[in-house]
Amino acid sequence: MSIVPKETIEVIAQSIGIGNLSPDAALALAPDVEYRMREMMQEAIKCMRHSRRTVLTVDDVDGALSLKNVEPVYGFAFGGPLKFKHAIGYKDLFYVDDKDVDLKDVIEAPLPKAPLDTSVHCHWLAIEGVQPAIPENAPVQVLAAPVEGKKQDQKDDGLPIDIKLPIRHVLSRELQLYFEKITELTLRNPESALFKEALVSLATDSGLHPLVPYFTCFIADEVSRGLSDIPLLFAVMRVVQSLFHNPHVNVEPYLHQLMPAVVTCLVAKRLGKRLSDNHWELRDFVATLVASICKRYARTYSTLQSRLTKQLVNSFLNPKHVLPTHYGAIQGLAALGPNMVRLLILPNVEQYLKLLEPEMLLGVQTSKIKRFEAWRVYGALLRACGQCVYDRLKVLPPFPSTPPGPLWKCNARVVTPLSRKHKLNGDHLEQQSPSKRMAIDDSVTSPPIDSITDNNNAPGEATASTALCNASKIPENSGEATTSTDATGKEEVKENGFVASVRVSAIHRQIWKDDLDSGRLLISLFEMFGESILPFIPSPEMSIFL
Amino acid sequence: MEEEEIEKLVTAYLKKRGFKDAELAFQEELHRHPKNASASAGAAAAAGGSGALSDPDVAKLVQLFSESKSVPEQYHDGYGRLRSWAHDSLDLYKHELLRVLYPVFIHCFMDLIAQGHLHEARIFFNSFRDDHAMMHSGDLLKLEGVLSPSHLEEMEFAHYLRNTKATIKICQYSYELLLQYLHKTQSFTMLGIINERINFQVSPGQPTSLSDDVGVETIFTTDDATKINPKEIQWGLLEDSLEDRFEKGAFSPLEADKGEGEAKEAEQDDNKKRSGEGKQGNAIKKSKKDKAAAAAVKNSRTEANTVSTAPRVKAELTLPVMSTEVEQSILEDLRNRVQLSSTALPSVSFYTFVNTHNGLNCSTISQDGSLVAGGFSDSSLKVWDMAKLGQQSAVLQGENDMNNGEHAGPLGGRRSYSLYQGHSGPIHAVTFSPLGDFILSSSADSTVRLWSTKLNANLVCYKGHNYPVWDVQFSPVGHYFASASHDRTARVWSMDRIQPLRIMAGHLSDVDCVQWHPNCNYIATGSSDKTVRLWDVASGECLRIFVGHRSVILSLAISPDGRYMASGDEDGTIMVWDLSSGRCITPLMGHASCVWTLGYSCEGTLLASGSADCSVRLWDVTTSTKTPRNEEKSGSTGRLRSLKTLLTKSTPVYTLQFSRRNLLFAAGALSKGA
Repeated sequence: MSIVPKETIEVIAQSIGIGNLSPDAALALAPDVEYRMREMMQEAIKCMRHSRRTVLTVDDVDGALSLKNVEPVYGFAFGGPLKFKHAIGYKDLFYVDDKDVDLKDVIEAPLPKAPLDTSVHCHWLAIEGVQPAIPENAPVQVLAAPVEGKKQDQKDDGLPIDIKLPIRHVLSRELQLYFEKITELTLRNPESALFKEALVSLATDSGLHPLVPYFTCFIADEVSRGLSDIPLLFAVMRVVQSLFHNPHVNVEPYLHQLMPAVVTCLVAKRLGKRLSDNHWELRDFVATLVASICKRYARTYSTLQSRLTKQLVNSFLNPKHVLPTHYGAIQGLAALGPNMVRLLILPNVEQYLKLLEPEMLLGVQTSKIKRFEAWRVYGALLRACGQCVYDRLKVLPPFPSTPPGPLWKCNARVVTPLSRKHKLNGDHLEQQSPSKRMAIDDSVTSPPIDSITDNNNAPGEATASTALCNASKIPENSGEATTSTDATGKEEVKENGFVASVRVSAIHRQIWKDDLDSGRLLISLFEMFGESILPFIPSPEMSIFL
Repeated sequence: MEEEEIEKLVTAYLKKRGFKDAELAFQEELHRHPKNASASAGAAAAAGGSGALSDPDVAKLVQLFSESKSVPEQYHDGYGRLRSWAHDSLDLYKHELLRVLYPVFIHCFMDLIAQGHLHEARIFFNSFRDDHAMMHSGDLLKLEGVLSPSHLEEMEFAHYLRNTKATIKICQYSYELLLQYLHKTQSFTMLGIINERINFQVSPGQPTSLSDDVGVETIFTTDDATKINPKEIQWGLLEDSLEDRFEKGAFSPLEADKGEGEAKEAEQDDNKKRSGEGKQGNAIKKSKKDKAAAAAVKNSRTEANTVSTAPRVKAELTLPVMSTEVEQSILEDLRNRVQLSSTALPSVSFYTFVNTHNGLNCSTISQDGSLVAGGFSDSSLKVWDMAKLGQQSAVLQGENDMNNGEHAGPLGGRRSYSLYQGHSGPIHAVTFSPLGDFILSSSADSTVRLWSTKLNANLVCYKGHNYPVWDVQFSPVGHYFASASHDRTARVWSMDRIQPLRIMAGHLSDVDCVQWHPNCNYIATGSSDKTVRLWDVASGECLRIFVGHRSVILSLAISPDGRYMASGDEDGTIMVWDLSSGRCITPLMGHASCVWTLGYSCEGTLLASGSADCSVRLWDVTTSTKTPRNEEKSGSTGRLRSLKTLLTKSTPVYTLQFSRRNLLFAAGALSKGA
């Protein structure tokens, strides 16, 4: 008879620890519970009315409870409606979905942005009974000319007004002039010092927000029109960069319009009129720009990065696309950070290189330009992978003791000729066939390993400590060098006959195991790229590797 | 029928109805006067609910009671039949007969509850509630929760309904129809309720027309209203008021010329003074506007002014003395006043609170519009000086020009307002003193606090109410103020005493709003019991009860001539009342949601209302509030009309106020959800 079923009363009783509530009691309590609830709601609505609201909040209910001298319900705050979940197995039992929150997460979470302070703004709602068509007023049917420039001026102060701009808003004359000047500079003489000043102004001026949609439009137009004009594209991209740098401008609502234009500059088939145009540089610049945009809006626009990477990977993996497009995609992904490279490029590198290698050959069917492009792409890929490896190795834990002097010395000795050779190779690379190059690679790589083993044997007799240290390193070295040579490394240890080393190596094996992955990665990369990957390896790790 | 049988039946009936005392008395009586039994049976039956009926009727009735169906069924069937009869009755009398249904319905339900037939009561309620849902949804919601006899005792509303008789105006013929029906069908339960609970005002002649049905909601009124309302009130303005003097001065021919010259001087002075004081932004805008209109107004001023025609009364309170400087500035304002009418609408300056995070509970604007105060749910009170606000941003702009690198916030990290902290609960009302040097705030912590805008400090804390204080208002002359609270009282205070001067008790529920009469002798209060009352400040007596609203009253305004009052309720209805007669002149419909605030223009021609539906509406209140001076006009415009709806941009209007120069200020918090 009451809208509160007696089961509810039973559940409540159980929840406060009364197990043996008789059904009669529950039945008798139900009507009273309903009455009290209604009473509470009546009081809460009073509180709501006196707070000049039309939506009931938790605070109002708390107010009502305190009016009735009842302890408030703790733990509920106004943050939108509560979500009730259906309890499985019961027909009409619901509960509030209360997630466990890790205190650590709460503590470590960055402080939320401080809310803006309350402020008051004044405007004319009506002048002698007529509503002026200003942004502060609700849009009216009849659009009159702006009544006075005053209102717009106020907007320019960059006050954090939360008022949404209306569909039709009027730009002040100053802003119009500003926009014209900037666009003119961008189009006519992007080299001038004035343009640099303009960029600074774009990046710092606080009143530019009303212009953002216009700039967005301008940028999209210019990019689609001027794909053959590299200096123009550069200028436009600089404008984009400045806009993104401006802390007072919120570009986010326009990102979906801006990003296509920017990404076009990154992965377009052809940029510039002549072949000699340095579109590589533009792509590099745009790649960093894209990465910075992603970083800045990752939080507010969560799908931005995933959409972008999807597009980039698509253009990277599509063999039909031309090489400059691949180049742009690789650069873009690389700029997004080593993790992106590891996730999206590395799994595909081997296949891709197979595609790329014929292009790099000094063959008949490929033109010189194509080959140049291929080498460019190769370089970009190498850089990306190298950075990734570097990033992995960098985080390796440092070794307990520094390597002894002799080892360093011999490393240095080995490395220097190597790099020199590499340089040499680099000079001649274009003329060399890949097979030949590989051969060189092999010849270059094999001796250092030998030399290290030699060196290991040599200082082995010197002191116990150094030997210990070396011995401990051997398995790692060998392990990283080739997965299969793990055994050989151990054999060597045994050959050297240092029993003590076994204990230390056991400790280090633990670390080594963790790093096995990066080790493997390095090896596979090494197999693919040859020794040109080596400069990317930080020197201490390099020593291990060698 | 044998007497003995009757005796038996009577005893059985009394037992069944649980009239133990009556039963005992009856038995005793029987023993004492065995002969006189039938007479006493008649008396006992009368107690049972049916009045003067002849002997055989009594027997029948008693028999009926003793053998009939169970009690709940009687109610259910009886009401059901009454209902279908009323619906089938003649169209001419139908609406009058339908009026009877609601009180019968309510009392049937409460009877059932009181007798403990809870389940049946619920069924009864649910089967017939839809009939009344449109007219009385609020009451039904309240009653719906009543589920046990103890709730009836506890609930103020039910208590009130039980203790008051419904008053229904009905024509002679309808009344007879009803009685005839009740007797014919022998539905004594219904007859009992109708006799007990309804007070018929039978009028001879034709039934009232449907359009006059405004009074339907007024069914449940205390007899007090009719008793109290004839009392005399002096609604006139204070004699020798400044306005009075101004009017007189302006009308003498010599002064008029001088006045012209003076006005020009005043304008210049005005400018100087304003620039000197640094009152920027708003004040200057205002003065510009006002000036333009002032010239035009000068000529029209000669027309009769409502204010000047109002009778004069003596002040009952000792009034504070005004300094000559203040007097001068007020006179200047009066000189520059824009004459408003249905054709000359006011300019509205709107203050928007942004970033309030749902925390703004109330706001108020000082008389000249230079100060804006907001009371927040976090117990803080913030006051913005609009003049300073203008300066600050100007200074900051200069700074920005000088060094571009520095980008402090628009206010340089400093607060743009002065913050008053002291309350320990949400603030529900704020009011400025007429001169703007004091602020009063009332809070859920049951206190009222007085703040000085000059010292930026709390001066006094007035403790007296026991529950949240919903509203506080300064009197038009300052010094005195009135507060309204959840404890169902309104209190009148003076600034220099910490105890209230008067306690106005009488409302049956929360007092939600309070307003001063311009002559300071009366205050009006609006309450959750859906009535507005007018109280005499000097005696503390209730002088008028205004009944007619269908929901909680949220705002009040009294016209500057002191004759009319407007009240706005939760449903968006505004009612305009004649204070002297206590009658509603007309309801003003148009707002879709709560009317938070009302304001009369200075000459009383326009009424402005601000609502939760994000609009300011302007109403013409001249046409019918004025006595029909122009006879040709009065024929067509019997009702007041809406002149203009000014929509804000998702900003509910919390407060509005006409300045002395008839510029309308309004304020509200921007709410995105709205």
